[in-house]
Amino acid sequence: MSKVFSKNRIITLFSTLLLIVAWKVVSLVYQSEFILPSPESTLISTFKIILSDNFFPAIGLTVLRGIIGLAASFILGVGLGILAGTNETFNAFLKPILVTIRSTPVISLILLALIWFKVDMVPIFIAFLTMFPFICTNVIDGIKNVDKELVQMAKTYRISHWRIIREVYLPAITPFVFSGASSAMGFGWRAIIIGEVLSQPKYGIGTFMQSAQTFLLVNEVIAWTVIAVIISYIFEVIIRKIEQHIVVWN
Amino acid sequence: MLLKIRNLNKSYQENKLFENFNIEIKENTISCILGPSGCGKTTLLNIINHTVNADSAILEGFENKIISYIFQEPRLLPWKTVKENISFVIKNLDIKEETVDKYIRLVELEKFANYYPSKLSGGMRQRVSIARAFAYPSDIILMDEPLKALDIKLKLNLIKSFKRIWQFDKRTVVFVTHDIDEALLLGNEIFVFSKAPVIIKDKFTLSSSFSDFTLEKPEMISLKKQILKIMD
Repeated sequence: MSKVFSKNRIITLFSTLLLIVAWKVVSLVYQSEFILPSPESTLISTFKIILSDNFFPAIGLTVLRGIIGLAASFILGVGLGILAGTNETFNAFLKPILVTIRSTPVISLILLALIWFKVDMVPIFIAFLTMFPFICTNVIDGIKNVDKELVQMAKTYRISHWRIIREVYLPAITPFVFSGASSAMGFGWRAIIIGEVLSQPKYGIGTFMQSAQTFLLVNEVIAWTVIAVIISYIFEVIIRKIEQHIVVWN
Repeated sequence: MLLKIRNLNKSYQENKLFENFNIEIKENTISCILGPSGCGKTTLLNIINHTVNADSAILEGFENKIISYIFQEPRLLPWKTVKENISFVIKNLDIKEETVDKYIRLVELEKFANYYPSKLSGGMRQRVSIARAFAYPSDIILMDEPLKALDIKLKLNLIKSFKRIWQFDKRTVVFVTHDIDEALLLGNEIFVFSKAPVIIKDKFTLSSSFSDFTLEKPEMISLKKQILKIMD
């Protein structure tokens, strides 16, 4: 087991190194910091950004927007998902709404949000609309996959409807909720940053990416990208850890 | 007292399972219903449990009776421990927590009270479902071939567990099976069902001396032969 694990780690390390080497080679070919800066100059830019005064307000506010968007999507997604999963009429009502939100291009949502909301609200609104359908759809699928025999057992023992939802449905959909939250976060992050690029709140990763791009500071654009990827990864790990902590019965 | 089902009629499309069918079940005994697969044994349990509606039937003595069910599969909630699975059905019923411990002891799972079902063997899980059925303050326990998926050794252990707990707390049990040995080891009364539409081919009342978990006694062997002949 540990042999396989270490072998996989070596492969992961190798593929990361390969990516960096390829990056270095291409940057040597172009020889231009304005097109593709080298990995080392990007690394220096990353450290400069981390040490700058703007770093913590930028990542703090972007993360806060992500958390607010995720929390709102989570509460509404789980609530409406349970209703739709247990009630076919409500499911028929909700389905076209979810499909419409999911199929609307993110850029259309941003353009409309720019008209409707203050700049700080735009990324949160976009994050919510990107993440909510994911979580809601996963909850509906989760409810439909709940072992009907367990529900029948609970009904035979005259367990109340409310307790069946709380003690049978909710734990059964927990793994679905986490996998929905995990994929939603991946898309949500990208949407938040696009929202920040276009709405330009005072602080935010997207705001600083946009100003770096305006001044053709490509190394800073990549440095902010690397920071965004790392934060996204940290969130993914946190979601997995919470899942492991809650889903202890497997 | 007798629980009576009279003039039961039930069809699935063209397939008539019961046609003016009658049966009387003695209270506080274990009644085994022995019959071929697909003859309508489970449907009968579901009609008693009100999860399936009969086309027409008169049920006497079932009014206000509380029912617990031991299913073919244990149907335990994977996210609850052994103890929590049993507590789940008696919560809000004004029953003391010690009751749960008592039934866990009776099925000899004290050491596993805090285990999740995924950590238990198939036989242990079914023992939990027996404890759950008894912990629930039911008048009738319905059992739908709960020993089907177990090997012979586990089957015998489970029958012993069940008998021990039943001796301690006698309820009306309706046990459905297609296995003659299970019926002989467990039942006080055995009803032999025909294929659908069901008629009761014969009924046997077993003396209590039979309940010593052996099929080797001459009386048992001759009874088994007799039932086999009827089932053919």
